[in-house]
Amino acid sequence: MALLKEQDQEQLRQEFTALSHPVKLVVFTQEFECQYCRETRQIAEEVTELSDQITLEVYDLMADKEIAEQYNVDKIPATIVMAGGEEPLDYGIRYFGIPSGYEFSSLIHDILMVGDGDPGLAAETEAWLADLTEPVHFQVFVTPTCPYCPQAVLLAHKMAMASDLVTADMVEATEFPQLSMKYSVMGVPRTVINESTHIEGAVPEPMLLDKMKEAVA
Amino acid sequence: MNLDLNFGMPETEIDNTYDVIIIGGGPGGASAAIYTARADLRTLVIDKGLTAGALGITSKISNYPGVPGPISGAELVEIMREQARSFGAKFLTDKVVGVEIGEEMKTVIAGTGTYFAKALVLATGSMGRTSTVPGEEEFLGRGVSYCATCDGAFFRDQDVVVVGNNDEALEEALFLTKFASNIDLVVPTPDLKASAMLAEEALAHPKIKVRLGTRLKEIKGNGMVEGVHVHPRGGDLEHIPVRGAFVYLQGGKPITEYLMEQLETTEAGCLLVDDTMQTTVPGVFAIGDLICTHIKQAVVAASDGVIAAVAIDKYINGRKAARQDWN
Repeated sequence: MALLKEQDQEQLRQEFTALSHPVKLVVFTQEFECQYCRETRQIAEEVTELSDQITLEVYDLMADKEIAEQYNVDKIPATIVMAGGEEPLDYGIRYFGIPSGYEFSSLIHDILMVGDGDPGLAAETEAWLADLTEPVHFQVFVTPTCPYCPQAVLLAHKMAMASDLVTADMVEATEFPQLSMKYSVMGVPRTVINESTHIEGAVPEPMLLDKMKEAVA
Repeated sequence: MNLDLNFGMPETEIDNTYDVIIIGGGPGGASAAIYTARADLRTLVIDKGLTAGALGITSKISNYPGVPGPISGAELVEIMREQARSFGAKFLTDKVVGVEIGEEMKTVIAGTGTYFAKALVLATGSMGRTSTVPGEEEFLGRGVSYCATCDGAFFRDQDVVVVGNNDEALEEALFLTKFASNIDLVVPTPDLKASAMLAEEALAHPKIKVRLGTRLKEIKGNGMVEGVHVHPRGGDLEHIPVRGAFVYLQGGKPITEYLMEQLETTEAGCLLVDDTMQTTVPGVFAIGDLICTHIKQAVVAASDGVIAAVAIDKYINGRKAARQDWN
């Protein structure tokens, strides 16, 4: 049975007509699938069906170990949204855990952003990212029932798209309790930057920029 | 762990693009909607609920011109909304979590989805909190939360408090019954300021203990929340051991958090507007208790709404003079 309702499929087909660049989804799962691996793969398959501009590759975390390492994927389910076509480009946009509930809209936004080719950040942010010399890793902890979370996820993903040195993971907190415990997550969204810095809530772009500066200082 | 698997695109019955989006459906927002909808501008009003604002929780009104009353604030608001609906305005019950103010398009991010408009009316009133209690900021994300739907899952089989007296507090307390073992509902006022249906449900719920007339004094803990100090009216300070504190208190400060500092405010947090109710950003208007320059009365907010609506008609249609609309 389809996970996407027919009217939503139609709406998405319409929205995807705006895709000017090809988009590739990469999903990591497992033969004996994890709790939400099957649904994560299925939703990626259904979304891929809705536009000729979207392609999908599905890998197994164990059987395709080398590919997983190459994409720096260490947990599943994992979904990557990247530029497709003849010159594929991995921006560092990751979803660990199922992109359901409010995070489904994040996934759609990311597809539209990558397909548009422009993350749409402020000039000041772009300029700072252009001068960045060391890596920045975002882990944005979310739950699927959190209406504030997509803002935090999308902002981190925009940063990832704008800079080769930035990677940004959405982490669904309830699917990875060990990570939630490690980073003391008791409220979402919580954004951890480079292990050292964190910020609570969906914050505006200038405030996240300040936190990034703090994290690499 | 069982997640609700939902891949629905948000809210498909309602369109995403409008001429005007009004945030807040109180007397100001609803009056603006009557005028913009009647001027054939596609109008969406996003509002948290009928009893979410200052007028909605007022029990008796007898001084609203043309409505002798006494009438409840919620009834008065509903009459205005019905009038706006009759001209084609759409109402959506939802909470706005953010806005992006672009030059051409203004984006409004709500729980059900993202909406776009040429002009924006901010009418969210002034029931925001003025101060926090000791421990609240320290333990934010460490047991203090403002969103039960976001964070409820972290408090499975634990005891929590919910602090507040309005619809939102009650809805969140009822939501938390899915996860928490026991919920102390700490109500600062002698009675609940919520809809009768929600109040009944909360009072009857076996997991919820309602403490009326009780103030939250402090949130205690060590790295994480371990309990709260509350003060019941006429009683002694009491310690309630809990792992979570969900706070939905209100006050008298303009509600502007969702604007994320994109607009200029005074030190008191009030939005600055010109004599057409336009803020420092063209196409963005603010009315009613958000602009604390005048009397906090429903009819004044309604008047602001009309001034803004006429200016929006000009802004969108490029009219030089306001259209006379009194025949």
